[in-house]
Order: sequence, then structure tokens, then C-alpha cells
Amino acid sequence: MKTRITYLQPPSSPFTSTQASLTPTSLRISDLDAAKEVRVTVDVAEVVDDEVRGILNGLHEVHIRWAREDPYVVVAPFGSRVSAGVGVGVSPLQRNEEGGGNGDGDGDGEGVCRLLRRMFGMKGVGCRNYTDSFTTPPVLSTRFASTSTYQFHSALPEHNLGEYIVENICRGEGSACAADWGTADSIDVDYDAVSRSLVVSGYWGQPSASEGWTEEIRAPKESRDRVEVGLLGTEKAVEAEEIKVGGLLGVVGVDKELKPTLFSFPSRHHVLPREATFDVFFPRPTGTHPTMTISLSPAALEYPAAPEDTTCALHAYLTLPSYIFGDKYQLSTDDPLFLESHHLLALRAVSGATDLEAPDWFVPHWGSNWLLELATPPEGQVPEEWNVTVPLHLRYLRPSETGYRSAGVPWPVVFWACTAEEGTKMGTNPFDRVNLGWDGMFGPRTMFYQVHPSGEKARHVEELDVPVLRLEEGGFFSSKTVELGTMAAIVLGLLWVLWKLGSVARSSGQKKSDKEKKSQ
Amino acid sequence: MPSKMASSSSSFFQSPTLVYTSAIALRAILLIYGAWQDANSAVKYTDIDYLVFTDAARYVSHGASPYERDTYRYTPLLAWLLLPTSWSGPSVLFSFGKALFALSDVIAGWLIARSLVSAYGMDAPRALKYASFWLLNPMVANISTRGSSEGLLGVLVIALLWAVLRRRVVLAGVLLGLSVHFKIYPFIYGVSIIWWLDRERDGGSSSASKTTAGSKDTSIVTKIMDFITPPRIILTLTSLVTFTLLNLLMYHLYDTPFLQHTFLHHLTRIDHRHNFSPYSTLLYLSAAGEVQGNFESLAFIPQLLLSVVVIPLVLAKKSLPGAMLAQTFAFVTFNKVCTSQYFLWYLIFLPFYLPGSSLLKAPRFGGVVAAAWVVGQALWLQQGYNLEFLGLSSFMPGLFLASLGFFAVNVWILGVIVEDVGASS
Repeated sequence: MKTRITYLQPPSSPFTSTQASLTPTSLRISDLDAAKEVRVTVDVAEVVDDEVRGILNGLHEVHIRWAREDPYVVVAPFGSRVSAGVGVGVSPLQRNEEGGGNGDGDGDGEGVCRLLRRMFGMKGVGCRNYTDSFTTPPVLSTRFASTSTYQFHSALPEHNLGEYIVENICRGEGSACAADWGTADSIDVDYDAVSRSLVVSGYWGQPSASEGWTEEIRAPKESRDRVEVGLLGTEKAVEAEEIKVGGLLGVVGVDKELKPTLFSFPSRHHVLPREATFDVFFPRPTGTHPTMTISLSPAALEYPAAPEDTTCALHAYLTLPSYIFGDKYQLSTDDPLFLESHHLLALRAVSGATDLEAPDWFVPHWGSNWLLELATPPEGQVPEEWNVTVPLHLRYLRPSETGYRSAGVPWPVVFWACTAEEGTKMGTNPFDRVNLGWDGMFGPRTMFYQVHPSGEKARHVEELDVPVLRLEEGGFFSSKTVELGTMAAIVLGLLWVLWKLGSVARSSGQKKSDKEKKSQ
Repeated sequence: MPSKMASSSSSFFQSPTLVYTSAIALRAILLIYGAWQDANSAVKYTDIDYLVFTDAARYVSHGASPYERDTYRYTPLLAWLLLPTSWSGPSVLFSFGKALFALSDVIAGWLIARSLVSAYGMDAPRALKYASFWLLNPMVANISTRGSSEGLLGVLVIALLWAVLRRRVVLAGVLLGLSVHFKIYPFIYGVSIIWWLDRERDGGSSSASKTTAGSKDTSIVTKIMDFITPPRIILTLTSLVTFTLLNLLMYHLYDTPFLQHTFLHHLTRIDHRHNFSPYSTLLYLSAAGEVQGNFESLAFIPQLLLSVVVIPLVLAKKSLPGAMLAQTFAFVTFNKVCTSQYFLWYLIFLPFYLPGSSLLKAPRFGGVVAAAWVVGQALWLQQGYNLEFLGLSSFMPGLFLASLGFFAVNVWILGVIVEDVGASS
């Protein structure tokens, strides 16, 4: 097991050497104001849990991205975001690969759902198996192999990954167990069949205590385990695509003292200035055709400080649970009037449940993803507030006692994507992050500049009140009322018309016999 | 009514040129206005369905199946007809389909007028006056110029009626088969046409009917033998052959998706969004698995009993168009799904029904009937607005009672139509 702990101090906060003291058995950190990343790498064979080991053996790769619902801060080089909840990308083993692993094959594809339930404590029936519940993202080009075959997303405000890690990965001791996973802002879990290693990374944007991080990182007991620590801060890089970090590095239990370091690397993800924010809301009343409104601050609309040879465009990546959807025909239009009125440029990609009619309970997929390119105001005419609107539609939900059901919609990810014809590969970045769902839709040399979700709201999930049929056990609002009422109306209506038809038939029969009598 | 107005309105209907020019001009203005609104406003005049048709036509033009377009639930013929909208060229081409639908409207109106003259012995101005209920109806012109294909169906159905009234049995059979292939529901007309097409009316020799009419002790066998006449056989065969050939051709070309989207979809559909049908609340409940009974699966019984059995038997020989109106009205009223486009299906028969109806004989009564129909719809639309735009849970009791109320109004009107048609002979 390898553990890497990185503290990333903001440039404004001072660091004194007394804040980190290294002994042969531990590293003591005190009152350190920093963002933190803990990355644990284990060989799958070391995972205690037989079931999860078996499931992983049947997969080619799996990438789980969890993010909390309330606001958190991202700092470079951890500058990327995903929508709140748990997102999963999975590629099963190809048939010919399967011989290599001793996996259980996971024939029905429900293993990955069991994995989520076991590791994260995810409940509910939203995840059945990857063929039914997962969606297949569009493969833009095989060159960009960074997109998983199947994708999934679900709301997950709470998880118990911490317990799982303690029980099955670090076995109750060491720095990986000491990390408070329950308070992490975002967590990544990655596995691939080539390295056969499981990587769990947690990110904390701010220390849990107001004075800063105070913790003791112990040296591992077993010699094959390793604990690396970095105390870093970012500095201004020379090249626009690069991030430069400097500070102290050390291996706990091995190094006698922390070593100073200064290095820079090209980075895929960059952070825009703090004022570059967006807010998301649905104007009330939302009705059954709610409009997602993304309100961007002037700083968010400024062209990012990307390298000169790149072209940048502002995007929003929407993660919509199955009960809310866009009309792909409406949104993929090239009608400039429609697009201008919504401040959209184009729908770049869509995947998942886009059926226009089915009620929610008939939709097996978790939902849909939408990559939209957003319009920006002409230069020099940036208004105080620039609203991008995305017309959406609600599916029928099951009846409820109140006549309403609550439906949460996570905020989208909003970013500038800057593509370059040529440039350096991003792989040399030790903090690189891929498989976020939206990054795979761009070329490998694309740089992303995250717009910050506004921190003013308590949650980055919008709750909608969806009107449904009001239904109670007894009384007027029971299903019996509807059944009997409809039946009575239809039967009465039918009898009325039949009676009218009967009297016509009778009177014409009368006439006929009258005629016949007369003719005789 | 002031005599001046009467004379000016009748002089308008004296001139077919004037009436048809007005009908065409009305549609041309709406087409141009629609193109203008589409080009200048984010709110489009063009109906969403038209985008479905033209998308499907584009698929066809690329050699693909029209069913690759989601929610395309029509015969491929429609996509083929609209192929010119996929051609590159002036943007006017996009409106080709709308112009075709609008033209179908006008032709349907012309056929209505001709049938009124030939089959009802009306004088031409009077026929034009009643045909104008369709020709100059802004609602009809609006629907077809927005790109709804109902006008195309209208001309097929009226051509069918015209062909039957002119005893063009083979043509009638072909049209019947074609329109059933197009939209299924016209199969109900087959029954009334066949019942209507007896020896007195089929234009053949009437000697046989005279002899049977004379002898009272006709056995069932002779009655059946008497029923099976050559025109009835020809009509049945031509319509079946047309229907079958078209379906075989489409199945050959587009395979299962054709069957699934044009026919099977209607049996398995799960998208029971709120609509005018009295069943819609019940269908929501049953789709959500909240209903013990199975009443909604029997919905076809009252619907078909009225529109396919009783109405044709009682009314077809009194007035074929009257019976077709009552059939359509019953079919739409008792249907599991009902949207405002379906109203066009029966609207087209009104010019045949109105002249002898109690609605025009007693205008005040006619006004009450029309008002009840409009108010019934308005009440429903208000509940629909509360749901869709205000997000209020108006399913129960709002939409439920409103749809039952509208159903009651329709049943009452159907009773009036049955009485009126029954009284005519």
C-alpha cells in the first residue's frame, strides 16, 4: 500500500518550519492552513473484501467520482469538478481479456452496482446493472480513449466509504485509515485491469478545524508500505499551460528530513480567479417544463489566460437524473433565434435517457448527460449578469399523498475548454485527473478552466416540486374514486348514446311498418 | 337578419372563384406569416410534429429509415411525400409540406362542396356556404399551415366519401385501404360504407331487391346471400388488398420499426400524458401500478361497440356522412387518448350534417351546444395550464373532473347528432 498526502497551502498563508516536524516514526503537522489530498494505492490482491475483489477482476476499468452537495473550494492543481453525487464510468473486460483475470465474469453486469453499494453504502434500486441502468456516452473518436464504455450517476449526499476503507483496505491502521473520509469534499476511486491497483483519492478544500490541519502521520509498520508527504504551494509558472509548485517533500519513516523542491508541469485543469462564478436556479413556477438558468458573473465570461495558440469556448456539462430531460431535437437546433434567446451556441454531445414521452418509472437508465457550448457576450459589452437558459422537461412521477414529489437536480459543471493543435501531454502531472465524464469529450491536449459554483447557496443541488397525481389510501383521493368515477362516466355515456340510437331504431322501425301497412 | 347582409353573403357564395381564392389566400397568408414568425421569433409558428416529419424525410433522403427519428409514428408515405423539404435549395422548400397539407384542405373543401351538390341536390351557392365551414375555417387553416398532417387525412376521408356517393367502388376501396394504412381509425368507415352500399344504392340492378322485398318469409340464408353483393365484395377486397400491399411494402423496406411505430405503438404506449380523454387519470394510475381492476383494458369495448357496430347499423342507411360523423365523434370521445387535433377528424363532416341539424334549425340551441363544447374544453385547459405552467398538482380532482365534464358534453352532443341523423332520411 502506498499513501501520498499532499498539503497545498494558499499563497497568502505563512509557513514556519515548526509546523512540520519529522521524526523517524512520524511526521507531525500542526495548524497548517491548506487544502489536502490523500491518495491511497493498493494492489487488488491486498483488498480484504472478497466480493469487491471478485467484481474488480471482472472489469477492465472503473472510475468513481463522488462530490459533496454543499459548496467547497478547489485550488490548483486540484482544479477540476464534477456534479454533486456519485458518478461512475465502467468498462467491462473484453471477452479475450477475461482469461487473464480470475474474475467471476460479471455476466449480468450488476457487479458494479454491488460495488457501489458495498464501498459507498449506496442504497436504493437506481443501480441494477450496467446494461440497464448505465448509459453509453458517445464515442467521438477512438483516439480519445479516455471515456468509459458505460456511465452512471446518482445523488449520494452521505456515504460510508471511510468505514469500508478502514475495514477492507488499511485494516484499521496507518495514515489511510486516519484520514477522515467522511468529511472529504470529493473522492475518486480508480481501478484498471492493467495495473491491477485500486487508487482511492480524497480531497479536502479546507482544513476541518479553523486553525488548520493538526495531525500525526505515522510511518508504515510494514516495509513494503510507503507514506509520502508533500507540503506545497503554487507559484506563478512561466508557461501559461503550466503549474509551478514548490515546498517540501518527504517519505515518512525513510527520510531524515523534508527535502525542498520546486517543479512545474503542464496541467489539464486550471482554476479561474475567485470572482469567476456561476449560480444555478430554476425560475418559479417551474411547472412541468422547468428552465435551468445558469447565471454567470462577468469574470466568468472573460477569456481565460490560456496559451496563445489555443481556442477557448465556454461549456456546461449537465447531469440530469431520469425524471428531468432535455428535448435533443429542440436543443440540437441550429436556429440562431432560439440559440440566441437562450445564450447557447450548440449542443455538443448528449447521452442517456432522452426518450421524450416515457414516465420516469419506465426509464431504466439513471438519466442523461448534456454538453452544451455557451454563448458569451460580445467583448466590451459584458453585462452585470449573463443568464444562459436550458429548457427542460419533467417526466411523470409516481402518485404521492401530497400531490407533489421532490426532484433534485445537481448543478452542472461549467468550464472553459481550450484546445490546442499541438502541445505537451498532460500525463507528466502528478496531480492529473481524468475520467470526469466531460473531459473525455475533448482532445487529450485540451485545457480546462473551471468556473466556480457560487458559494452563496447551501447546496449545489436544486430541488424541484414535481406535481403528481394525489393519491391516498382511502377517501376521495383514492384510486377507487378514479376507477369508479371513470367507469361510471363511461357506462352512463355509453347507455345514453345507446338509448338515443335505440329510439332512432325504434322510430324508424315504426315508420317502416307504417309504410308497409299503407302499401298493403 | 338584415336583407342587405344576406344578399352580400349569398353573393359571396355565388362565386366559387371568390370562395376558393379566399380559402387559398387565407392559407397563403398564414404560410407567409408562419415563415416570418419562424424567422423572427424564438417562439415558432411551425408545429413540432412538422419537424418530426421533415427530420424523417431527411433520414429517408439519406437512404435511412424514417423511424430513426424518435416519435415518428406515421407511414413512411408521409416522409416520402415530404422529401422535397430535404432538398438543398431555397428555404421555401421547407414549407413544401405545409403547402401540401393546406392544398389538401382546399381539395377536401372542394370535394365537400361537390358531394353536397351531387348527393344532396343542394344548389351550388348553398353547398359552398356549408363547405366554407371547412374551407374558410381559421382553425383548419391554422392547423395545416402549422404543418400538421391531419389535412392530408381529411382529403383522403372526404375523397372516400365522395367516391362512395358516386358509386366508384374500386376507388373507394383503394382510398379506404390507404387511409387506414395512414392513420388506422378510418377503418370504422368501412363498416358503415358496406352497410350503406345495399342493392338500392349500389347502382346495380334493383330487380333482386324488389323480389326479396316482396316476399316476407325470407330465411336467414337468403338474407345473408342478399347481403353479399358484388360492390360490397369489391370494396372489401380492394381495401384489404391496398392495405395489405402497402403494409407489406413498408414492412419489406423498414422491417419491425415500421410495425412497431405505426401500429404496435398504439397498443403498448406508455406515454399517457394528460389529455382530453376521460381515461387519462385512470391510465396514469394504472401505468404506475396503483389500480387493482383492469377496466382500462376494456376501453375498446364501448368505443368500438358504438363506432363500429351500433352507429353504422342504425344510422348508415339514413345518412352515410351523418353516420360517419357520429362514428368519428364516438371514436374520439371514447378514445383512450384525445388531443385537439383529433377534433379535426369529425369537423370535416359538419358541412354534411349542419344543413339538416337541430343546431341550425334552432340557432339558440346550436349556440348552447357550441358554447358547452368550448366551455368544457376551456375548463380542462385551465387545469392543464395550472399543471404545466404553474406546477400545481391539478390531476386530482381538477383534470379528472374536467375530462369527465368534457366527456359528458361530448356524449350529450353525440346524442343530439344521433337524433338528428336518425330523423333524416
